[in-house]
Amino acid sequence: MPFINSLTELVHLQEEILQRKREEITSQPFRDGGPEKFAPLALRADQELDAPRGKEIRVVLRNCTLIDPESLDDYIAEDGYQALATVLTKMTPEEVIDTISRSGLRGRGGAGFPTGRKWQLTRNSAGSPKYIICNADEGDPGAFMNRRVLEGDPHSVLEGMAIAAYAIGASQGYIYCRAEYPIAVRTLNIAIQQARAYGLLGKNVLASGFSFDVELRMGAGAFVCGEETALIASIEGRRGEPRPRPPFPAVSGLWGNPTCINNVETFANVPQIILTGPDWFAAMGTEKSKGTKTFALAGDVNHTGLIEVPLGITLREIVYDVGEGIKKNKALKAIQTGGPMGGCLPASMIDLPVDYESLTAAGSIMGSGGMIVMDEETCMVDIARFFMEFIQEESCGKCTPCRVGTHSMLEILTRICNGEGVDGDIEELERLCKVTKTHSLCGLGQGAPNPVESTIKHFRHEYEAHIYRKECPAKVCRALIRYEIVPETCTGCTVCAKNCPIGAINGERRNPHLIDQEICIRCGICIQTCNFGAILALTGEQN
Amino acid sequence: MPFIFINGQPYQVREDTNLLRAAQEAGISIPSLCDHPDLTPYGGCRLCNVEVKGLRLPAAACMLPVTDGMEVYTETEDLVEARKSILKLLLKNYYDSGNGNADKPNALLKWCDYYGVDTSQWTRKEPRYAIDSDPNPFIRVDLNKCILCTRCIRACAEVQGRFVWGLAERGFDSQIVAGSGVTLLEARCESCGACVEYCPTGALTHKPSFGAELPEKKVQTTCAYCGVGCNFDLNVKDNRVIKVTSNPNAPVNGVHLCVKGRYGYQYIQHPDRLRSPQVREYLLKGMPKPPAGESPWVTVSWDTALNLAANKLAAIKRESGPDAIALLSSAKCTNEENYLMNKLARQVIGTHNIDHCARLCHSSTVAGLGMSFGSGAMTNTVADIVEHAQAIFIIGSNTTEQHPVIGSKIRQAVLRRKVKLIVADPRRVDIAEFAQIYLRQKPGTDVALINGLMHIILKNNWQDQAFIDQRCENFDAFREVVEKYPPELVSKITGVTEKDLYKTAETLASNKPAAVFWAMGITQHTTGVLNVLTLANLQMLLGNMGVPGGGVNPLRGQNNVQGACDMGGLPNVFPGYQSVTNEAVLEKFNLAWQTTHADGSTPPLFNNKAGLTSTEMIPMAGTGKVRALVILGENPVMTEPDANHTRECLEACEFIVLQEIFPSETSHYADVLLPGVTFAEKEGTFTNTERRIQMVRQAIQPEGETRPDWEILADLAKRILAVEKRRPTGSHAGWDYASAAEVMDEIAAVTPIYAGVSHARLNTGAQLHWPVKDLNHSGTPILHIGEFTRGKGKFHPTEHLDPQELPDAEYPFLLTTGRVLYHWHAGEMTRRSQGLLDVYPDAYIEIHPEDAEALGILDHQQVRLSSRRGIALGKALITERVSPGLIFANFHFAGEQNGNNLTIAALDPVSKIPEFKICAVKLEVS
Repeated sequence: MPFINSLTELVHLQEEILQRKREEITSQPFRDGGPEKFAPLALRADQELDAPRGKEIRVVLRNCTLIDPESLDDYIAEDGYQALATVLTKMTPEEVIDTISRSGLRGRGGAGFPTGRKWQLTRNSAGSPKYIICNADEGDPGAFMNRRVLEGDPHSVLEGMAIAAYAIGASQGYIYCRAEYPIAVRTLNIAIQQARAYGLLGKNVLASGFSFDVELRMGAGAFVCGEETALIASIEGRRGEPRPRPPFPAVSGLWGNPTCINNVETFANVPQIILTGPDWFAAMGTEKSKGTKTFALAGDVNHTGLIEVPLGITLREIVYDVGEGIKKNKALKAIQTGGPMGGCLPASMIDLPVDYESLTAAGSIMGSGGMIVMDEETCMVDIARFFMEFIQEESCGKCTPCRVGTHSMLEILTRICNGEGVDGDIEELERLCKVTKTHSLCGLGQGAPNPVESTIKHFRHEYEAHIYRKECPAKVCRALIRYEIVPETCTGCTVCAKNCPIGAINGERRNPHLIDQEICIRCGICIQTCNFGAILALTGEQN
Repeated sequence: MPFIFINGQPYQVREDTNLLRAAQEAGISIPSLCDHPDLTPYGGCRLCNVEVKGLRLPAAACMLPVTDGMEVYTETEDLVEARKSILKLLLKNYYDSGNGNADKPNALLKWCDYYGVDTSQWTRKEPRYAIDSDPNPFIRVDLNKCILCTRCIRACAEVQGRFVWGLAERGFDSQIVAGSGVTLLEARCESCGACVEYCPTGALTHKPSFGAELPEKKVQTTCAYCGVGCNFDLNVKDNRVIKVTSNPNAPVNGVHLCVKGRYGYQYIQHPDRLRSPQVREYLLKGMPKPPAGESPWVTVSWDTALNLAANKLAAIKRESGPDAIALLSSAKCTNEENYLMNKLARQVIGTHNIDHCARLCHSSTVAGLGMSFGSGAMTNTVADIVEHAQAIFIIGSNTTEQHPVIGSKIRQAVLRRKVKLIVADPRRVDIAEFAQIYLRQKPGTDVALINGLMHIILKNNWQDQAFIDQRCENFDAFREVVEKYPPELVSKITGVTEKDLYKTAETLASNKPAAVFWAMGITQHTTGVLNVLTLANLQMLLGNMGVPGGGVNPLRGQNNVQGACDMGGLPNVFPGYQSVTNEAVLEKFNLAWQTTHADGSTPPLFNNKAGLTSTEMIPMAGTGKVRALVILGENPVMTEPDANHTRECLEACEFIVLQEIFPSETSHYADVLLPGVTFAEKEGTFTNTERRIQMVRQAIQPEGETRPDWEILADLAKRILAVEKRRPTGSHAGWDYASAAEVMDEIAAVTPIYAGVSHARLNTGAQLHWPVKDLNHSGTPILHIGEFTRGKGKFHPTEHLDPQELPDAEYPFLLTTGRVLYHWHAGEMTRRSQGLLDVYPDAYIEIHPEDAEALGILDHQQVRLSSRRGIALGKALITERVSPGLIFANFHFAGEQNGNNLTIAALDPVSKIPEFKICAVKLEVS
């Protein structure tokens, strides 16, 4: 096992590895136009991460799918740890912070706090030891940007953490990873061991006098532990509950000491910024939002999965170029960004640039990178109910507005979806949104009303339809819809009857069928299986 | 001092405080539910959210540090609206099944009322949880009223240091749970009731007083259980004590109390109380005395009872001399009563044969510390130690069970200040959980253990040589002996590893000041005085004397055992430790207490030889050398060692006058029973373990015909003097006291260390630790600053000696005795407080699992212990608290369950304290 003592040795090692790989490649049989072991990118891509499309640029995801995540040599071959070596041998901590500040990198966990400034604040704080924490508690439903980086390129995160540690004056780091990511936990642990073995972590890194080690801590399934103060409480062995800030972790964090917490994606950007320079990074994005951002693109687009795009890209470019348009050419209804605490943006905002300020101004958030595209068949009340269900379950219960407010909102939303909404429900929701948003302790509660508020703002008519006309315009809410077979169109093929899970459809072969409304559970399987468009969903007065 | 603006007005506020506190201090009310000044801020209820200029969102005032120039708005329209919403949200999960705590305001309802939120409209209409869901006899749990403020959780963790309460689930399903969702007692609840005290809504209430009416009055007084000296309010309605409530102004304990203090009050007006004087029938009929207990009791008038006692005592004195009478004073009674008892013995009867239960607990401390420093009491205060000590060394004290509030304060010091705690005890007592180092020395090896530590300290030159040189003497002789205790030898004697010895010595040497605490584990040995001298040596060696956060701190057991000693309830000293062998002192008291006989003569009142100790007077009662015993509120049958022998002695005693509140195991042997009162029925003072003198205030009228004990004593004294035709003529010789306050004035006049004490001072809030030199002196919280009471501190070389009776083939187990949290001493009070008995109903005998297995003993099985002196029955409690071969029994239960049936009356040669901690026993399934 090589123990690396300097930047020069690291570069030599890289040359050796590359030479070895070249030899391996030339001795490999070719397949599909490339050596078998190093098949072209497209062949190694998968459902989660496909070849870049549209305006995609891969910075954070640069190595994912390209290198073996369990091989430190692979990472070194891709210039791995050269940024750390450069920092340790050629830069002062102040210069590192200055470089990061000039790059314009902002926290990718969602809040977008300037990373350089956070490092500077932690560095300036009195108190020792200081700590670096990597927040790998990615909990947004459907989001897996961080997981992919941890599983595919763990050393980029470790290297970023080590650089941050040098900058703020820390010698111990923690990665707080959700336990639901067993592969990430495995690759990280392997990576930590390898980096220690190579002298890239531990005492006297690269013989520079700088010491830094990393310990992995696993979460226990609480979404709120993504909140930094709750995360710290959890590492300390306490119940994962947030506490009010100030003091911010930069002043009083882990065990009361100055602590810098950054997200996986933030750290993964750092080595590239050091190696390629802040100007390169700042050239991407908008005036205030620099670089790229990864998103987990989901919902009703043709191409779903992880994407990485320069900030400032419009929603339209994401949906139609990268996402290759709405499935079945249906109409776009809304885009939800930022995870469960994000807002729903209506199709009319399709040309909104994706950057921190624009999204916030539009009533949503950047968040950590969830992006759900919804077509015309989506019920926005139901969507709000769905997110509120998640949030009220994940509320830690510490503060009153979040604990009871989210529960109360869910009660009302459920009532509305069940066709039991009453006059005043919208106003009550608005009141609850206000108190929860303004008076909750942490970001979870403060963001909880976003799905409700934004859907009321942009789709108030849908709420009103549910409450006053007992109608679900998107024909989703089961209590408000009814399926009916149009006798003229029905061919009596029996497919619907065969597929109905509760046998609610009767009829003779080749004769029009009939749905027994008494036992129909509105599952919608019939409408999906009918090949003749003979089944209609009816709501409201049609109902 | 930062300047802040609250609602546009400038205020100068303290630094290092939060906005809520700063506003409160400025007289501005901000609503809050989860905050309490004693507890770490939580920021959960959000009711105290305020608007702060420059902050995007409102912030919780309770967690917002004040900064200079801060501009805050506390009651804007938006905030009022939000607070109404938050209160409604809280009510949404609040179901009120009625208020069982009429005099405690419900903070939630108070704020609803303040903000005009209609509670009837918003509260739940049916309960969500079981009402009264926990079987704990003291703490009533009704989660329907819980608003999840977590004050209970924080109180349990931060005040009691027990971590029983926690939060389970999350979001709307969050709820407080004991342990991992078990009952409170299963979750190791100590039933201190702190969680109840801090609960703002009545989700937790005191079960024994649930539904009690509003009290007519609350009387602040001092607890009558242990020596911590907690204060609380007795709540009275229709002349009945309906409950005890915390008083935040209590100087020692604040709102905190232990289970006995808070809930053990039912005995006060228990049906068993003695309510009128009684004498044995044979006395009235002039018949010879039949065997003890056979002559029936006859209820008589006070005159009859007191005249009979006075005549009989006078007759015995006339026939056999004053020393044929011996008196047992009472550490449960007030200073005033103990003073009168001492005066009764010395002035009226003319004997120094007076002692009390301090003989059995800290006589070795008083003797040992007297030899080392010239003063035998705790040197520092608890608050001082908790605030200033860097290390605390507890040896032979089960602090959390025996001095629970001090125990919790030590836990707090460990939790909050990371004080290094070292615990040495053959039993792994609860406080060991908080210790950095726990040493399980073999019983009876304390001298060797401490000498071993000092050997290491000297070897490494860690001693405070300057302190030793300037303030101590006899160092070289001491050093010579300590050199004989190298770690290898000490490890062999004590069973403590050399590594632990070294670690302990190093911790003590590198964390100064260090305070040493001890209790019966040190004192109740034939080497009791040697043990104490050795600990005194240790503290001198480290220079920990006369400094804040240091000192020698014997924890006194009874509520007023310190006072009973101070008041001359000892055979060798007058009040204030004025020696009976000192001629000047004798002269002083002969004058002060002078009586003039019918013939005009004023012969000396007493001789100049120390009287009998309790451990001597009872055996001598058995031989007839002592013909009469006058006992004030003690129960020697239960508490003396070798109870069977005690019974024989009392049986043989000619005449016993017993002043008591209950018929006791000792009253079986008494001839005259004088019904005294509890602390709730009289005035007086108790002196706590810190030498702090505190008021005992009358809350209710005495039960039945009972009279305050000081009145009874004065009445008896006057009658004896009348029988003897003596007139009090000295300056302080009379017995006509109008109040206990007058007795205290007399105490002050003849007792230099109490010279500045008066009820008037105490009633106006003075916190006085003796010595209090005059009425302007503010007392002495820390002793020996600058100089020891005796001048130089004296090192005493001490050697390890084996205990008197060690296990052998016939009696293979070593028995050690003590008390438990839920009971007090001989159990007369706690066995008459139902809840305490519910939690701890039987005499449990602690047995190590290995021993239990070897003998086939199952948990809770009835077992029988026997020693050379008697047997004791109890239920097996199989636990690793004891080590293999060690058995622990208590003496709370009477008759065959009394652990003292087994103990040995082997005495320390100097202090005459018995070796309660060590004897040999046999264990069998019974």
